[in-house]
Amino acid sequence: MFSPPNSTFRYSLSGCLAACLAVCFVLATTPSSAGSRIIGTGGVSAIEGAAGGGLSPWAVLASTASAQEIGVTAAATRAWVDDYRLTVTGASLNVYDRVEVSVARQTLDLETLGGELGQDIYGAKVRIFGDVLYHPWGIWSVGIQHKRLVDGAIPTALGADETSGTDVYLSGSKLLFSAVAGRNVLLNATLRNTDANQGGLLGFGGDQGSRSWVAEGSVGIFITPQWIVGAEYRQKPDNLSVATEDDWQSLYSAYFFNKHLSLTGAWLGLGDIAGLPSQQGGYLSLQAAF
Amino acid sequence: MIDQRKSYECKYTHVRRCLIALTFTALTLSLAGCVHQPNQTTLYERMGGETTIDAVVENLLYRIADDPEVVVFFANTNIDLFAESLASQLCDVSDGPCNYEGPPMDRAHQHMGLTDVHFNRLVEHLDAAMQEEGIALGARNELLGRLAPMYADVMRLQ
Repeated sequence: MFSPPNSTFRYSLSGCLAACLAVCFVLATTPSSAGSRIIGTGGVSAIEGAAGGGLSPWAVLASTASAQEIGVTAAATRAWVDDYRLTVTGASLNVYDRVEVSVARQTLDLETLGGELGQDIYGAKVRIFGDVLYHPWGIWSVGIQHKRLVDGAIPTALGADETSGTDVYLSGSKLLFSAVAGRNVLLNATLRNTDANQGGLLGFGGDQGSRSWVAEGSVGIFITPQWIVGAEYRQKPDNLSVATEDDWQSLYSAYFFNKHLSLTGAWLGLGDIAGLPSQQGGYLSLQAAF
Repeated sequence: MIDQRKSYECKYTHVRRCLIALTFTALTLSLAGCVHQPNQTTLYERMGGETTIDAVVENLLYRIADDPEVVVFFANTNIDLFAESLASQLCDVSDGPCNYEGPPMDRAHQHMGLTDVHFNRLVEHLDAAMQEEGIALGARNELLGRLAPMYADVMRLQ
């Protein structure tokens, strides 16, 4: 499963994910057993594969699997900003609402500069304690994300030290019932230790620094039990002198059709990326869960 | 000249980042501060009082009866007594003119072998019952928020 990236693996991974998505859609349209957690409490798939918002992982675990239940999700995501296009396919497994493992493939098309960058992300998240709804302190989890670039030539040329790296994070999430105009509000905070440049797509470490602690957070309001809108913010390191890096932010809207299917749309403000200024654009992500 | 511009840009970026972070923190705190906004009417009144609460309890009992995974826990329960006790508890929790005199939540559920699966299922049934009896989303959320902390008591003696 964790074989080094090569083109055969790459195509088999996307093929596998496509098949998985197809199976999910069939399951999503027919009544079948879903996890017993309340709808929406599994978040959606973040761009690095873990359950979360769009840009940042949350403490909740993927799908609605609860104690003694297994959950599986598959997601397809695309983001368009001024000079780049990001495609993410990912899948995750939730065991007993205690451990989540995830895999994601990111491909960044350099539409203005030419070429593409890609990386695979293998993630694991463990719920330390709590529950996003019932525990007074919410839910707290720790996670790890191991990232490997498919081709490190461009990031290395820009001054990145490594072509693979590992993030670790601590995340807390809490739902405040009836907090604003009778609506429930979801708060999330994540503290991450990372040396990834632009999430890892521009390599790891550089001439201006290596590992550092960064903060990420989001606020969302459930307009209805199935529809949440909110904002996310993700602080980032700035390790490469030739490619200034900014923090990421988003305004998102996620709709849960049922426990099996969700659609997320967002506006993204990603700042400077690889020398091209002020990247803004849109984001769409579809997740199937069962 | 170029150096000056670069340092100005650097400072500007730093200030902007701080401002964004501050705005975000302020927003979070102000949202958290809204949790205890004062209400003129009680939750009990906004839910529709005794009539609606009795209807919700009856609706919930039908849902429990139809759910094989949950109904087993009510095999030795006096349903009339349970309905009365639950209605009085919902009335009490929502600041209505009642005083719940039933057993505490940990003793009421001890050694039943309940898991999160059963707890979640009951929450879903209760919310669906409230929705079907016409209780507005705001009042539903507030009642669920007052019941949620009981999770720890319900699960203490499993």
